[in-house]
Amino acid sequence: MNTLLKIENLHASVGEKEILRGINLEIKAGEVHAIMGPNGSGKSTLSAVLAGRDTFTVTEGSVTYDGRDLLALSPEERSWAGVFLGFQYPVEIPGVSNVNFMKAAVNEQRRQRGLEPLSAGAFLKLMREKMAYVEMDSSFSGRGVNVGFSGGEKKRNEIFQMAMLEPRLAILDETDSGLDVDALRIVATGVNQLKRPDNAFIVITHYQRLLDYIVPDVIHVLYKGRIIKTAGKELALEIERKGYDWLIQESE
Amino acid sequence: MEVQLITNPEGRLQMALEAGASAEYLVLQDGTGTSARECEVAYAISLAEGASLKMVFLSLGGTVLRNRLHVSLQGRHAACDLAGICLADGRQEMDYDVLLTHEVPQCASTQLFKNIVGGHGVTRFHGLIKVVPDAQQTEAYQANHNLLASDTAKAYTQPQLEIYADDVKCSHGATIGRLNPDELFYMRSRGIPQAEARLLQQLAFSYEVLEKISSPELREKMQALVEQRLRELA
Repeated sequence: MNTLLKIENLHASVGEKEILRGINLEIKAGEVHAIMGPNGSGKSTLSAVLAGRDTFTVTEGSVTYDGRDLLALSPEERSWAGVFLGFQYPVEIPGVSNVNFMKAAVNEQRRQRGLEPLSAGAFLKLMREKMAYVEMDSSFSGRGVNVGFSGGEKKRNEIFQMAMLEPRLAILDETDSGLDVDALRIVATGVNQLKRPDNAFIVITHYQRLLDYIVPDVIHVLYKGRIIKTAGKELALEIERKGYDWLIQESE
Repeated sequence: MEVQLITNPEGRLQMALEAGASAEYLVLQDGTGTSARECEVAYAISLAEGASLKMVFLSLGGTVLRNRLHVSLQGRHAACDLAGICLADGRQEMDYDVLLTHEVPQCASTQLFKNIVGGHGVTRFHGLIKVVPDAQQTEAYQANHNLLASDTAKAYTQPQLEIYADDVKCSHGATIGRLNPDELFYMRSRGIPQAEARLLQQLAFSYEVLEKISSPELREKMQALVEQRLRELA
């Protein structure tokens, strides 16, 4: 199978503080990788660096995505190339409605692929169809992006956006945090419906419970900016039972 | 009901709303006609009992624009709603000087002035709400929000209250800021190019003023003008 993403010796800092200290990771099309690890281990930094957030500086290493140098691309270019980040804390944009936001995003993606913008009717039809994936009410479309949404609604909106954009590499940063069981099931069902042989997912989570719904092929444990353990899905249960300490001791 | 409107070449506008009259007035300064170069307009407006006035200003062009407004609420239950948006860049200067006097009890006024400033543009807002000693149960609100779109743009703001009555609800607020980088990144991560993301945010910022225009046709036209001007804003 094709390698979709290859991260080699990735180091990244905020100011003087080094957060990622040599990450190596390879993901093939069709795979689901979970990244776990205690707070502050660098999970969210890794996802932000992959999406192109400029608050982090890459000091060493490389990221190759679909044969291209991912780090040389702007955030919007990464999106056009099929990279999607599901935010841990989705941003509220007052005054910009969900429908206008998604229309701008979808039509720009189409323009980049040399396609005509969707007609108003076709766009609304697509929107309704994808909102159904995450059981989102159509009244959301006229509201400001994430404005006044509950935590669960914001996360569902992330998955809805992912369904609209159909990425090849989706990175979900703690999409399960703050979700009750019903919302978790809805989010996971949305993700599972979008799985295809030619795309891949990185699922960042603290808890094993999400991995009951979205079953990973590989689990990585991140600690102090390095991957200290890579194993199959059964590792999640062991972490649930024993915590991270034994892994940290093993690695030191 | 009668509205008197007098304009003259010196840029003075007088408007007296008689008891129960209501008016909506849209001022477009787009850099053509009298607003092409230096332009100063003084508005003297009075409202009698139960009169209501809505005024929306769109200052989009011109070299130097100065708007001086004095609105005097002279009859009980008069209500005045003022809103404006300035888009300034290059070497443009746009000033608003607003004096709102509550002369009698039980009147209401709101002010919402927003500015987007780029290039070496300068905006100045000076607003004063004055509530005389007898004007009890006054409600008066004033807000001025500024968005800086370049490192060399300047926005000055001076919101003031002078209140001599004790049973009133009054507030004023002013902010000067930049586009939120988290919002920008969020939009770019969805594939919206940086310039388009900025435009969406600036339009959203302007919309609070534009939505005050009651006529949907006129509102749409004005929104198109604002969008066109924002696309040029450096």
